[in-house]
Amino acid sequence: MRNDRRFFVGLIGVAGVVGYLIWTGISDTMLYFVTPSELLTRIAENPQSVAQAWRVSGKLVPSSYSYSKTELLHRFVVEDPADPSTRVDVEFRSPLPDTFTDSPDMEVEVVMEGTLRSDHVFEATEVLTKCGSRYEAMPKSESVALSGGRIE
Amino acid sequence: MIPALGEFALWIALPVALWGCALAFLGGAWSRGDLVLSAERCTYAIFFLVAVASAGIITAFVQDRYEYWYVYNYSSRELLTFFKIAGLWAGQRGSIVFWALNLSLFSSIAIWFNRDRNRDLMPYVNGVLLALLSFFIAISIFVQPPFELLGFTPADGRGLNPQLQNYWMTMHPPMLYLGFTSFSIPFAFAMAALMTGHLDARWFQVTRKWTLSSWLFLTVGVILGMRWAYEELGWGGYWFWDPVENASLLPWLVATAFLHSVMIQENRGMLKVWNMGLVILTFLMTIFATFLTRSGLIESVHSFAQNLTIAWIFLGCLGVVAAISTVLVVWRLPLMQSERQFESFVSREAAFLMNNLILLGIAFTVTWGVMFPLLTEGLTGSKVAVGPPFFNRVNIPMGLVLLALMGIGPVIAWRKATPRNLKRNFLFPIVVAGVVAAVLFEMGVRHAYALLTFVLGAFVLTIILIEFWKGTRARARIEAENPAIALVHLVRRNRQRWGGYIVHVGIVVIFMGFAGKAYDVEVRQSLMPGESMAVLSPFGHEYELTYESLSTSRPQNTFAVVTALFTVRQDGADLGPLTTERQFVLAPPQTMTEVGIRSTIVEDLYLLMVLNQDEVGIVENRPDLQRATFVAMVNPLVPWIWYGGLIVVVGSLIGLWPGAGLPIPRHGGERTESDGLAPGDGDSGSSEHDPASGAPAAVG
Repeated sequence: MRNDRRFFVGLIGVAGVVGYLIWTGISDTMLYFVTPSELLTRIAENPQSVAQAWRVSGKLVPSSYSYSKTELLHRFVVEDPADPSTRVDVEFRSPLPDTFTDSPDMEVEVVMEGTLRSDHVFEATEVLTKCGSRYEAMPKSESVALSGGRIE
Repeated sequence: MIPALGEFALWIALPVALWGCALAFLGGAWSRGDLVLSAERCTYAIFFLVAVASAGIITAFVQDRYEYWYVYNYSSRELLTFFKIAGLWAGQRGSIVFWALNLSLFSSIAIWFNRDRNRDLMPYVNGVLLALLSFFIAISIFVQPPFELLGFTPADGRGLNPQLQNYWMTMHPPMLYLGFTSFSIPFAFAMAALMTGHLDARWFQVTRKWTLSSWLFLTVGVILGMRWAYEELGWGGYWFWDPVENASLLPWLVATAFLHSVMIQENRGMLKVWNMGLVILTFLMTIFATFLTRSGLIESVHSFAQNLTIAWIFLGCLGVVAAISTVLVVWRLPLMQSERQFESFVSREAAFLMNNLILLGIAFTVTWGVMFPLLTEGLTGSKVAVGPPFFNRVNIPMGLVLLALMGIGPVIAWRKATPRNLKRNFLFPIVVAGVVAAVLFEMGVRHAYALLTFVLGAFVLTIILIEFWKGTRARARIEAENPAIALVHLVRRNRQRWGGYIVHVGIVVIFMGFAGKAYDVEVRQSLMPGESMAVLSPFGHEYELTYESLSTSRPQNTFAVVTALFTVRQDGADLGPLTTERQFVLAPPQTMTEVGIRSTIVEDLYLLMVLNQDEVGIVENRPDLQRATFVAMVNPLVPWIWYGGLIVVVGSLIGLWPGAGLPIPRHGGERTESDGLAPGDGDSGSSEHDPASGAPAAVG
């Protein structure tokens, strides 16, 4: 009996340590996942949060992409899918993912992590694009194919 | 013709599966051998029918039958035949049939091997497996039909995502599916044990090889996925803690815990309910993984299709399996009393238990990290993201504890370790680890986690080496054999134990490969042809990469492939050329980065072209307009991950090799301390005297 109790104390101890790690881990690394409009309103409401990192998801504005040869800097504009008038300028230094294409006939959804500078340019530390997946070949077009629509 | 036959076969398979399932359970309940036998023949028939359906899908791909929705969306005329055959598992619709194919194959094998034994369990085993088969076949027919027609015949298909046209990627999903489906067999035996009340150790002993092979498939599947991400995604890493990656890791973690904790039940008759829980949890995790990968419910860059129907179906299946298993476990609780009590924290039981808690802790962390954004959104309305920093921060310390336990667990004594036992087993390895720590620190390794990984790795490797050495020496002395032969005989005598040690060596090597990440080097530079960039390896030497030229070619299905040619020099010595490419694929329209990798035994030089800045320079081949931006990385120890993976495969195969080699009694009965895996206290070489009981390992 005494040993069983000791065993449970040990169990709870380990569970407690794991729980503590998870708790502090989440609160220290968690990012808010927002749309461009939400990002701007949240920062307008609470100017101190400007230093904070965010994860922003939006739609790439067609033909907004440019690359600076001298600064090795990618620039593009992301708009809110629900409200296309809200736009955020983005700067990014690392290589863009292969799926990032700026062509007028493709909708590219961009997910970025980074901070909003005081000049309201979003400085991304990470850029991911959502189109196609590892396992699914271009599911976006499924509806097109099924409706018997456009076939290339 | 053959595709139509395939569809027909799939339709027949469903009533056969349902009928067989009913027969199996009724045959078991009424002790009617004829019904049981009939149900087993249903399983063989289903394997045949699903094989015909799979052949139909493959034929449709190979013959370019674009009137089928599935073929149209995952293939094109220009696709290599190899990838057309892999079309069977390229998308969801095919992979459900592929799943059913594997499951029916494994079920047939399990039933065939047990045609003369474990007859009390087999009706229920078969019933559970047929229920699962009915589920997958029904989904395939009613929700995700692979043979759905478009209504017209397009001239060509949409093509396969070029990132998936990679040989690692062709092997990665089937390996995971093999792992997932083969775990259904231990699960079915566990359920049968609960239903019949025959809850001795037999249900996991007869499925040991299934558990181990499932674990091996999962391991290989996960590592192949890492290898693919490393070569194809072009960011120099292999693991992103993406929900889809996490999905494949979860069943692996719980299965690993299960593999270890059954040893306590075998040797000490403890943790019976716990093991039952783990086998159920692993099976649930395989379904959860499919749910995560396939539903798109969780925000992921990789899972795009938000197919909520399939999400709810899998969630429903998860709920039903969890509910039925819980009811069965609660009903049979009185039969699963522990035979012994836990005696001390300094014992092998405690080390194994700790291993289990850590593995489940990591699994919980991963699940929590995946689900947390969904929960927060549901509860508070604001979306949050939990990324790699969270997973690394929580899982790396736990991984290090696990690494230490890999050394402690196998040699510490059962029940209660005496100071003498501890000193005998751990003093020398601790000294070695201390020396390694001092040397590495002196050499400039100051990253705490990396240093700890190497030191603990040295500790574990020393312990394993000593075990091998002691065992070989004892055998060589007793049997008067030469050491090489003694070593072979030693391993053959208890392959599960020694194979397990080799797996541990592989895992240690993989961990060290992970630790190399702390010393990644990255240089980004814009170059004109003729200019060079220098990268300093953490091992002290310097690579000099000279951008020689840019060339363009137009292979099939591309607008252009732009290749940058480099020459590599290491500290002045010429190492030859290295190329990196960007491919502009036509169908589907997409850019692909082809990374240039130059591997040595300790590091990879990893080169990619970010972009070339003037199309005129490419099209007209004018060197003065061929400025491009490149990223060069040195990824130390990454090759060790792949080497470690190979060692793990070798170790697992030693454990899996058919025939005798597992010192387990044939019928249930757990072993006493005297014939444990290793007596721990005293000379471990004495495990050589395992009674071995001569029983051939029952293959599932």
